[in-house]
Amino acid sequence: MSGMTRGYVVRRFLMWVLTVWLGATLIFAIPRLAPGDPIAAMVLRMSAQGQIIENSAELIQAWRERFGLDGPWYVQYVNWLRNCMTLDFGYSLTQFPARVWEMIWRALPWTIALLTFAVIITFILGNLIGALLGWRKTPPLLRSLLPLTLTFSSIPPFIFGLLLLFIFAYTLDLFPNQGAYDSRNLQPGLTVEFLASALHHAILPAMAIVLTSMGGWALGMRGMMITTDGEDYMILAQAKGLRTPRLFLRYAVRNALLPQLTALALSLGLIVGGSVLIETYFVYPGVGYLLYYSITNGDYTLMQGIVFILILTTATAVLIIDLLYPLIDPRITFQKR
Amino acid sequence: MNSPKKRLHALGSAIVGFSLLLAATANVAQAAPPQQSVPREQTLILDIDGGKVITPDLWNPLVPGSRRDHGFHQSMIEPLFILNYMTGKINPWLGESFTPNAKQDVWTLKLNKNAKWNDGKPVTADDVVFTIGELCLKVKELNCHGAMNEWVKGVKKIDAQTVEFTLKNPNPRFQLDYFSVKIWGGINIMPKHIWEGKDPLTFKNYEKGKSPVFSGPYKLVSFNPDGTEFIYDRDDNWWAAKSGFKPLPAPKRLIWTWAGPPENRVALMADKKLDSLMDITKGAFDTLKAKNPNVIAWYKDLPYAVLDPCSRTFELNTTLEPWNDPEIRWALNYAIDRDQIVQIAYEGTTSKSRIPYPMYPPIQRLDKLLESKGMFEKYPIWEHNPKKTMEILEKKGWKKGSDGYYAKGGKQLSMVITTHEAFIEKQRIADVLVEQFQAVGINASHKKEAGQLWGDNFAFGKFEARMGWQMCGSVSEPWATLNTLNAKWIVPVGERANGNQWRWKNEQFSKIVDQIGVLPLGDKRIDDLFVQAMDIYFKELPVIPITQAKKLIPFDTTYWTNWPSDDNKYAPSWTWWQSFYDILVAIKPAKKS
Repeated sequence: MSGMTRGYVVRRFLMWVLTVWLGATLIFAIPRLAPGDPIAAMVLRMSAQGQIIENSAELIQAWRERFGLDGPWYVQYVNWLRNCMTLDFGYSLTQFPARVWEMIWRALPWTIALLTFAVIITFILGNLIGALLGWRKTPPLLRSLLPLTLTFSSIPPFIFGLLLLFIFAYTLDLFPNQGAYDSRNLQPGLTVEFLASALHHAILPAMAIVLTSMGGWALGMRGMMITTDGEDYMILAQAKGLRTPRLFLRYAVRNALLPQLTALALSLGLIVGGSVLIETYFVYPGVGYLLYYSITNGDYTLMQGIVFILILTTATAVLIIDLLYPLIDPRITFQKR
Repeated sequence: MNSPKKRLHALGSAIVGFSLLLAATANVAQAAPPQQSVPREQTLILDIDGGKVITPDLWNPLVPGSRRDHGFHQSMIEPLFILNYMTGKINPWLGESFTPNAKQDVWTLKLNKNAKWNDGKPVTADDVVFTIGELCLKVKELNCHGAMNEWVKGVKKIDAQTVEFTLKNPNPRFQLDYFSVKIWGGINIMPKHIWEGKDPLTFKNYEKGKSPVFSGPYKLVSFNPDGTEFIYDRDDNWWAAKSGFKPLPAPKRLIWTWAGPPENRVALMADKKLDSLMDITKGAFDTLKAKNPNVIAWYKDLPYAVLDPCSRTFELNTTLEPWNDPEIRWALNYAIDRDQIVQIAYEGTTSKSRIPYPMYPPIQRLDKLLESKGMFEKYPIWEHNPKKTMEILEKKGWKKGSDGYYAKGGKQLSMVITTHEAFIEKQRIADVLVEQFQAVGINASHKKEAGQLWGDNFAFGKFEARMGWQMCGSVSEPWATLNTLNAKWIVPVGERANGNQWRWKNEQFSKIVDQIGVLPLGDKRIDDLFVQAMDIYFKELPVIPITQAKKLIPFDTTYWTNWPSDDNKYAPSWTWWQSFYDILVAIKPAKKS
């Protein structure tokens, strides 16, 4: 890759390792510092389901051994780091004998598909609106209309989701009210019917995310456009007589967009957490709901597995963006001068 | 692919393509969608009570992670017996009879000779001996281990349909407590020919495209990978219908679905896309009725709701001062206005309690018995009399300060009432209680705790007061609820208690409870002992009864009729219990198809 030294790549990679290790260590420690015993809670749940648990201490001990929670903390820590390296997080505490990785793997594709779909649209629309708002030559009528598109930003996504459900699913019957595809009639597979159904089901939840979150991107982009507008290269480009669309896209937007790309990578970890309510209201499968479930049910193994995957993906996305920067912005180089 | 722009495009396309590919080819264990469509009027659509099923391919009911309320134990796993809440009688199902010896320590189970698994093999004594002897007794981590290990010394086959259980101690409630769907479900029998040789802890009991082998009237056809919908089709070869034991259920297809938050589910039912819903609020029920007049509930008018078996109780840690003083506990009771709780916390959908039992007909008889003995005159549990509260407190040396709160020795009379964070019903009661205690000069407050912490604090005695339901147990006889207060469970604060977590100690009471515990169900001596025990209970009031618990369960009569109700009380309304079979064989299509 041009503009990049081996030393820089190694340093960035080591930083990635350090970030992931610190994250893994924190998610090992935090549940153990929290009050309450997850194994005891699991046994308690058995009694809540109509089972009379007479010898709970014996059962708790048996389960503690099975989950490897009976050993000293450093043995558990080493095992946890090994699990992180192999992505094998063992069994779920509340869904035994389901394995954590199997549960994440079942939910992850839907999260990736929905969020990729929604985030890309949000990113493009939000930045376009922001760019037009910050661009001096935007027609006044358009400029006065654009802020209206940002009014949805003040509505929480799940409230907006409810509104969309009421209008488009229950009143107009244009979109399904729940699920990721028509599971009563279709099976997942690479078929036109399935993909069309998946897209049809994703539109409402995606709209709820897109319309409520593009405002943030737009405001950030607007500020960057105003800053960019005063740069020397913009004045030079205008002096050269370049056409307005070229000035707008190649000179202003391209330069203003760079910080937004870093923000995009950093927001990856947040959007999974933020999609919990959307997944709940649209009954959409995904990691967000699984994370919420693991927290509310004290399923520490599942929670640790999901959070580790989030840390891993966010750190990796930031690493990739960092490595791609010299390619995106030719002014940046990591080569020694 | 030289320019950065092209590279970025390629990266973006790759991400989108990868996502679609993942979504399309995700290795989800899912049964094939049903081949045949079944008309709506032959389909019964029910709400999954417990929310999304996180591991939908887990059909092993013995492991802690298993869910059973998504049609699994209401249409596939049959119980041995079902307790009829209205009559208190235990009705046969897979089991024909379950009888004890005179000492109540040897129980003989006779299975229905016509019972068959859905693969055609007979349900026999071998299956029972295998399930109890090889699974429940030997594998500690299974759901059924705790109870069976506590009681069962040995289990042996007598003949193809007869099994003998030898108990470690006499237990007159062995059948009722574990095999009769007393609350939610019971211990179930697994087919030996399927389970033998499998690791019962990791066996999922599911093979893609095939229904698991059980004996119920429905077979699994399909479920979606996110665990929100399960489809079962009727097995027209169901043993009970073939043998004339029960009629074939009318619905050809069952769909158990979870449609998200209550708003969505109510909207679906208003749209006639759901035939029943789990417990909803009165407000939601009123909305539903306005949109779909075919919706009914247990009662035609208020309180609408059917009784839940776990009545709600205000509970105190009796190791802490001043709550260790029975007079102070009575002072609290006089401060409680139960009518206000019913109106505010329940919007009139339940009734107040004077004993910590659910008021089903067999318990109503016991309540009348206490009344006939003058127990409620001697102990006016429903009396709301703040003046008496203050008199008692002042007699005990508490003085009201300028801040309006009682204090003694410089210490203010305060109380923290904890509730489980997930249970809004109990939180509402706690909020009303706080106001009522504040009104008499007790600085009460309400704290919601994470469920796991709340449970642990209870077990370890690390609480002051709580709004709960932990005297739950009895529905047709008095012992189980009394036994929750037995002194035999008491362990020091800081150690985990399996019962009597309030740590109330009364040897005389416990002696009576133990005496009842070894008497056969229905024994005439129980009534007298019950009155004696309740006399002690009322005098000391370690746990204060507040209200009956309610479940407002709407049924839609557009497609199906003969739902259980107060006018037709053949079964309770719970669609998420294993006793749902009673409803399943009783409901009728509204229109002839």
